[in-house]
Amino acid sequence: MVERTDSNEKTEVYKPSMASRVRVVWRELRKSRLAFAGFSIVVFMVIVALFAPIITPYEPTWQGPSRRPPSMQYPFGTDGRGRDMLTLVVHGATISLYVGLASVFVEILIGVAIGMFAGYFGGLIDDILMRVTDIIMTLPTLVLLIVAVAMLEVRSIHVIVLVMGVFGWPFMARVVRSEFLQLRESTYVEAATSMGASSWRITIHHILPNTFSSIIVIATMDIPWYIFYEATLTFLGFGDPSSASWGVLLEIGYYHLGTHWWIITFPGLALFFTSLGFNLFGDGLRDALDVTQRGR
Amino acid sequence: MTLRTYVIRRALLLIPTLLFISILIFTLIHLAPGDPTDVIGGPRGKLSPAQKEELRREFGLDQPVIVQYLRWLSRLLQLDFGYSYISRRPVIDMISDRLLNTVELMVVAEILSVTLAVILGVIAAVKVHSVPDVLASLAALVGYSTPNFWVALMAVMIFSMQLRWFPVQGLQSYGAVFFSPFDAIVDHLKHLVLPVSILVVSWTAYLFRMVRASMLEVMGQDYITTARAKGLRERVVIYKHALRNALLPIITYEGFSIGFMLGGAAVIEYIFSWPGLGDFMVTIANWKDFPTLMGLSMIIAVMVLIANLCADVAYAMADPRIRYD
Repeated sequence: MVERTDSNEKTEVYKPSMASRVRVVWRELRKSRLAFAGFSIVVFMVIVALFAPIITPYEPTWQGPSRRPPSMQYPFGTDGRGRDMLTLVVHGATISLYVGLASVFVEILIGVAIGMFAGYFGGLIDDILMRVTDIIMTLPTLVLLIVAVAMLEVRSIHVIVLVMGVFGWPFMARVVRSEFLQLRESTYVEAATSMGASSWRITIHHILPNTFSSIIVIATMDIPWYIFYEATLTFLGFGDPSSASWGVLLEIGYYHLGTHWWIITFPGLALFFTSLGFNLFGDGLRDALDVTQRGR
Repeated sequence: MTLRTYVIRRALLLIPTLLFISILIFTLIHLAPGDPTDVIGGPRGKLSPAQKEELRREFGLDQPVIVQYLRWLSRLLQLDFGYSYISRRPVIDMISDRLLNTVELMVVAEILSVTLAVILGVIAAVKVHSVPDVLASLAALVGYSTPNFWVALMAVMIFSMQLRWFPVQGLQSYGAVFFSPFDAIVDHLKHLVLPVSILVVSWTAYLFRMVRASMLEVMGQDYITTARAKGLRERVVIYKHALRNALLPIITYEGFSIGFMLGGAAVIEYIFSWPGLGDFMVTIANWKDFPTLMGLSMIIAVMVLIANLCADVAYAMADPRIRYD
């Protein structure tokens, strides 16, 4: 987290710095054992993902004896081509975490922009944008993703990330919009207006920062969803076979389902563990940041 | 506004919504690179350019995109979904073959998960932070942190392949001869157990959290204190006063999540070769059978919107406080 104090804010008497806000949230987070466990899992996974090549005992392409059950030498066993499963699962973390974080980034960009627009301007723009948001929100995301990814034919992980973000923003937009609607009527915005602040300045400097809590909570809880969706798409045959995410590993495990239990078990456990971490952390953040919105 | 005008207005709103969805689906599918005539020719199709040209004319693919869209739309309005590029059968027949299988799977799983979630949610909320509450909450946490297709695969591995308790796939044992209808039903139910259980596990996990949170919120309201102060028995307070109000947001949630549930069911159908709409979707998306894919997407959208409308109407009927606007 970057520590930063705004010096260009002259109109306000007191503004807590980013650092002090982070400290407050941290203190709240430490209070809940579950939230702290979630935070630790997330940190652990991020470290694993970042340092995958250093941690793993073998190269992802290294081939030894095939279909070996878990042992001291191969803790997660080996797959049909003799690759070490532990190495593959650790490298899979890099790709799957990238998928989760990058998709959430796209979601935030689109969702916040649309929510801001609808909430600030209101009226007809708001009506139309929210109709579209509702429609996309009710449509089955997975079905939309299957249609889109199958049709696009570009089997690239980055395109899949983009498509998932493009269909994933409605809930974010709804929440940001409702916060904008509330904050727009608040007295401090009235004060800023009376001091002659432009509507752009009010939107960016006064309203948007107050929606950060909700945005962070929703984003944290949506990360496992994107990892799930990518794994599901890959498993169904619509993924990027060249990047070995956990979904690709599960597909390999599917072929060995009846005979070699470890191939399907360990990537799935990694997926479960990561998702558990983000969910616990998200729950904790929601309580710490005092956000009332529930996830999907 | 009366309930009737509310329902009519909500139903009329379906028209622009469906129009928007039809544009979305048409655009998505027509953005696709490649030529549909490659698909029509089959996987190894080697059609001559002249044959391709003829096929294009036959399917109207030589027309401008906007004309193609309007033609498709006007046929949709007459409930004509066209013909599959691959099987040459009417799309609507292929869909109706499979519709009931999906409905069966989803309805059974839905009834079981709502029942379970309400029972567990009430117990957890009434005795908050007790051992049952903590256990149920942890189980729900595990349940919604697990990707359901992985659970399905693990279940197939353990219960079908190792223990051989349940069959792996399909609606019925392949090629089996049954001596009585009863045997056939038992065989079908055995095929239903695994896919339904996996859906129930994941849906109950979500619903449980909703019910628990909603119950907790209602139990803190003033009128609950009033009911207790009047000397009503705790049972009456919980079931007659609290639960009825706590279930209101669940109705809306159910309507909203039908799309999400259909997506989850699709993967489960695929894994268990359950011949429903979701399994079909995966197959035809792989084939790039455009007319079938467009028809199926539209039908799924209509199903979801109708379920949503039903949920909204049910909510309006259940909650007299609602203002219809």
